[in-house]
Amino acid sequence: MDEVIFLEVLEGDAVQARHRLEKLPVTVGRGYTNDVILDDPKISAEHLRVERREDGAVVLRDLGSVNGTFNVQPWARLAEMVLTPDARVALGDTVLRFRPRGFVVEDTVVNEAAAAPRERLFERPRAFALTLQALVAVAFISERVTQFQKTDWGDLLLGSVLPLGLTLLWAGGWSLASRIARRSFFFRVHATIGGMVLLGFALAPPLFALLSFSFSLGSGLGIVRTLLILGLVGWGLYWHLRYVTRWRGRRVVRGLVIASVGVLVLTNVSVLLGNEEFSEALEFPRSLLPPVLRVAPAHSVDSFFEDVTPLAEDVDALAKED
Amino acid sequence: MFSLLLAAALAQGPIAPPPGPPAVPLLVPSADAGIPDAVVPPLPVASLPPATHELFRRIQGRVAQVRIIERRSGTKSSIGSAFFVSAKGHALTNYHVVSDLVLHPEDYTAELDRGDSTVPVRLLAVDVASDLAVIQVEAPVADFFKLEDGEPPQGTRLFAMGNPRDLGTTIVEGTYNGLVRDALYERVHFSGAINPGMSGGPTLSGEGGVVGVNVATMGNQVGFLVPVARARLLLDGALKLEAPPDSAALMASVREQLLANQQRITDRLMATDLPKQALGEYRVPGRWSPFLKCWGDTPHDPETPYTVTSYQCSSEEDIFLSSSHRTGVVGYLHQHVTSQKLGAMRFSALYSTLFSQDPDPVSATREDVTNFRCNSEFVDVAGLTVRAAICLRSYRRFPGLYDLVLRAATLNASTHGVDTSLTLGGFSAENARKLARRYLEGLSWTK
Repeated sequence: MDEVIFLEVLEGDAVQARHRLEKLPVTVGRGYTNDVILDDPKISAEHLRVERREDGAVVLRDLGSVNGTFNVQPWARLAEMVLTPDARVALGDTVLRFRPRGFVVEDTVVNEAAAAPRERLFERPRAFALTLQALVAVAFISERVTQFQKTDWGDLLLGSVLPLGLTLLWAGGWSLASRIARRSFFFRVHATIGGMVLLGFALAPPLFALLSFSFSLGSGLGIVRTLLILGLVGWGLYWHLRYVTRWRGRRVVRGLVIASVGVLVLTNVSVLLGNEEFSEALEFPRSLLPPVLRVAPAHSVDSFFEDVTPLAEDVDALAKED
Repeated sequence: MFSLLLAAALAQGPIAPPPGPPAVPLLVPSADAGIPDAVVPPLPVASLPPATHELFRRIQGRVAQVRIIERRSGTKSSIGSAFFVSAKGHALTNYHVVSDLVLHPEDYTAELDRGDSTVPVRLLAVDVASDLAVIQVEAPVADFFKLEDGEPPQGTRLFAMGNPRDLGTTIVEGTYNGLVRDALYERVHFSGAINPGMSGGPTLSGEGGVVGVNVATMGNQVGFLVPVARARLLLDGALKLEAPPDSAALMASVREQLLANQQRITDRLMATDLPKQALGEYRVPGRWSPFLKCWGDTPHDPETPYTVTSYQCSSEEDIFLSSSHRTGVVGYLHQHVTSQKLGAMRFSALYSTLFSQDPDPVSATREDVTNFRCNSEFVDVAGLTVRAAICLRSYRRFPGLYDLVLRAATLNASTHGVDTSLTLGGFSAENARKLARRYLEGLSWTK
């Protein structure tokens, strides 16, 4: 080992504290007489010493500690050990690592952002205000249009501002996480992302109702809807996480893909296994819109009732299945 | 709908009877209403029936309690009544009393409690549409009932016997009130108390002849009997049997009866033109056949910015297959929606909500039927565009029988429309298709 070595107190894989050992010998223990003091109750007052032997090797020597000192890999109690680069020893509940000054660090991680960071949509100064305004407007319209009872203005007002409140609350949570992990709140960014996702959720049902009605689309829309919801949630979580962690984009994407595949599989596990729950429900599209929005042609009564035969064959096959 | 509730309530068992239908005024046939009160001639003394206690003493031994025994627990899971009709030990009861024997012969057996002893019984024949069954005990029977040949005149005093709520054999007085008017399944209206557990017991004339088989009650002294003619038909067939049928043969006979019954209903409906009922500017299928009972209503609420007028028809009767499975049902509901205050979009929201609500399906469980499969399209019904969906499910035990639901909503205007649904329980695919088509073609717009 070099003349100068570093003693690192580890916490998991991360370094909790790093001590530069310039002159040997160095004593380590809980007592205040030591060069390196470790506040671990299972460590003896004078626990171990790092010193240079006559032959020049740097050795670690246990000073007759109560609980002993252990080499980590392979696990073995030791009285004396020649330190090699990256050697790890355990004492009490603490793990120490020794590294020479000549330790070669990994290459610098190349920042994927361009030199002049591209301004993202939701970082633009007006995106925040516009998103929240759009959210309130869309919530008001959808609340108004889907409500066919006598207008209750209190409910209508509450219904319009509720998404806004939810968005701000949601953004607050993410902001705290950002603050903890990245020392900055990014509140407006989080609020804009959350607002956009909610906007997507507010706009999707009427869009699907329109598609389902106008083109008389049925079961095919179900899977599209699931994918769209997953995509929307995934997009939102991706950007929230980008402002909370310092992970590379690709890593976040990988995590989200695994999570959404997991969710898809878990929620559809019975369908994938071919088990259909017994249900008296009738599954067919229910959206009715003003007749002018209809694009799909109307079939003749003949062709409509011709489809009874394949339907009967369908349910007969179901009856035979189990 | 009525006997549906009633039959279940009669087979006294651990299964709670389904909740009753909403309070609907009862249509009572009033054939005599027009006759003025003339001088009532005194009844000849000779025609008076004997005192009830004498009759009871004479015939007590001819009525027995049927117990359906669940094999694993070895004890009764439900009870009913039965009565002997031949010296060879033949007895009549209701199908709904012994339905477990037909559908789950591996899980259930039956025995008769004759007061002093219990004897095993076997099932010979069933008539699901009339709700009758013939059972037989091994030992010959000394004392049995005679089936009356004809129907007694209205007002005749009758005596219903049975074992209500496992309280022992009882006799109840009541009056014969003729066949239920316009019934889909023939029933005698008996004004007297018939209680759970009396199912399958006889109702007797004063001379002790059987005029009907207790089958259902609507409460308040409104009871129903299976006419004796149906019982005689089934018994005659059963007396000719050389060996008791196995469970597969019984199931096959039930299937045949169901097929014949749906064919009878289909023929009856297809033979008549579907009358048109006016609902706003629309014409919708009206009362197709007398066995359908129709009701209408429009909730009046000045606060509500729209009006929904409903018109519904239903056979209000069904066939009991098991405590969880009914069939032989025809029912439909129209809802005419109109609004002056709602715009096109808000009306669409209302209309979609109505279209999303389906009528209660015919009751059935996973072991009875499959899930529904639907097909939905825009359909042009003689110039009137509707969004229609047709759904089918298949009977697992009785291949070739289906429940059908047809749903349709008219799409010719942006602030009014008719939403309609048709439910057919227990029809062949071909008959269901024919009826549904006739029904859908009954929709029209007058402008």
